[in-house]
Amino acid sequence: MLAVMREVQVPLLAALLFGGCAAKARHAIGARHSSGPTAMVPLRLRRPATLALCATEFALGAALLLTAGRVGAGNPASAARAAAALLFGTAAAALHELRARRPDAGCGCFGELSRTPVSWRVIARATLLCVAALSTIGVPPLRMPDSAMQAWLTLAAVAAELVVLVALSPEIGQALLRLSHADPCELREVPVWRTLSALHASASWRRYQQFLVTTAPTDVWREGCWRFVVFPGVLASRPVDMVFAVHLAGRGTPVRVGALDSGASFAPPLEMPRHDPLEMSNRV
Amino acid sequence: MPESGTSARFARRALLRAAVFETQDQELWADRPATAATVATGVLAEVRGDEIAVYSERGTEFFGVSPATVTWLGARASPSALRPGDPVIVRHLKVGAAAPARKHAERIWARAGRVTGTIVAADGLEFLVDTGRDDRSPQRVVIPSASSRQIQVRFPRLAPGYLLDVIGTRHGDHLLAVAPATAQPPYHAGHSPGPPLVGGPVPMPISGSAVWHEPDDEPPGLLGLAYPAIDPEGGAQPADGGTGCVRLPYLSLGATVRIRNECTERAAVLPVTGDGTMAREFCDRCVECGTSPKGRVADLTMAAFVELGGNLEDGCFNATLRTMAS
Repeated sequence: MLAVMREVQVPLLAALLFGGCAAKARHAIGARHSSGPTAMVPLRLRRPATLALCATEFALGAALLLTAGRVGAGNPASAARAAAALLFGTAAAALHELRARRPDAGCGCFGELSRTPVSWRVIARATLLCVAALSTIGVPPLRMPDSAMQAWLTLAAVAAELVVLVALSPEIGQALLRLSHADPCELREVPVWRTLSALHASASWRRYQQFLVTTAPTDVWREGCWRFVVFPGVLASRPVDMVFAVHLAGRGTPVRVGALDSGASFAPPLEMPRHDPLEMSNRV
Repeated sequence: MPESGTSARFARRALLRAAVFETQDQELWADRPATAATVATGVLAEVRGDEIAVYSERGTEFFGVSPATVTWLGARASPSALRPGDPVIVRHLKVGAAAPARKHAERIWARAGRVTGTIVAADGLEFLVDTGRDDRSPQRVVIPSASSRQIQVRFPRLAPGYLLDVIGTRHGDHLLAVAPATAQPPYHAGHSPGPPLVGGPVPMPISGSAVWHEPDDEPPGLLGLAYPAIDPEGGAQPADGGTGCVRLPYLSLGATVRIRNECTERAAVLPVTGDGTMAREFCDRCVECGTSPKGRVADLTMAAFVELGGNLEDGCFNATLRTMAS
């Protein structure tokens, strides 16, 4: 059983390194700040430090997989596994230091999901992974299981280790919370292309497209759950602005249409005559 | 936003929206102030015994001053301390039909300034602060020794990466900070806590803190607000790091919101004229009248803040905000 446990560490460690790298890269590219041990380095170096860590994880994950079989067996495999152990050992020490110096900071191990303050569980996880990487040094090249019993043993070993890792991972709770929660439409980021796609698939578009001069919108703006898209058009020989209001709840949601004479307008607010609007609004 | 073409385009959006939803937006736009009714922004032209003259976009305006007039020049001061050339903002009593030519100054702020942002460099008590401006040029803040104790009590970490929000007086290219505008968040810039998860529609109105900012590229007397949740696809600055610690519906520039000062019970419908980058960074409360919920819901222009009854030296007022979005 011990031999099986040692064998499954290599793909598991590689998967964890790839997962951590992807989460960090997404977070570092999408957000302005970084978290984890990089929070201890100067502000301008944090993003480069996060990306460097991410690249290291990717390289180590790839090295572990490439040296897992007969190709690369021996010294290359041992070197990759020792480097992985060094990385996890360093991470455990850095997290311990981070916990002392910045108790409010998250570990950043899995990007945005790792925003909860560093706990003993996270440090224990890094230590466990360090031990797991050390245990793989000297393991012979991986091969497919010889028998059904061997396959079941391998699966049981993987499942047991995953249970331990889940128990040591506060990120699981965050991930489940995010999966089970959907923001209301007014709080959801919705790309314009998706709005245009929903509009083009709607019955309103098919009905009114013929009145448009061009299908390139002249104005697009958003107010909560609605995004407004304006096109120049001609209706009953009059130039008009055709405005489509697309609800952002998802595909198949309602699309409303309105038309306004192109000339219809009122003075812009800064040029309007003065009166006493605050007094009026105070009544509300 | 300052360009009249852009302004007209935003104004037309209300008409277009009304064409779809048959709402009263057009009336709301008509109701909103063209220019401030009780606020004058300009440069001090002259100080006489019982009167000051201010050059503003409406020409030279005269305001009566009395012992009841409160003057602020870094601290309470006498109107005689003001000097011609000082940038001022005056809140005056409404003009009565009986005396339309004479306005009485209720409060005068001279050289008032505020810097809200992330410290990028520190040299003793001099700082460069990134305020999130488009050109990323930092602003210079100097804390005089007389004010350092008061400020450091509320901003203990005056180091790069931490947030700063101070009020003071403008002197050339720098702000002479005289008071903290809030307490320093314990986190680094960019690490503000996320808003609570909301299961259903955002409840209206939304309560929080309303703060003010100095005009950057905006006209000095502009009535508007920087909104913390600008639609990232709206052609404006991308929403960097969500919407701060308040759940706010996404809006585009030019959308209108109704904002109410809960301390003075004054309200107005104002356009969104900017991206409230820094409002997203702070998760603080305003305690001007009771304790507001956490988070900044609006970063008003100086004129709008004063028009709604806020006092610049206080830094904030308890506010409720209602969007026009359905």
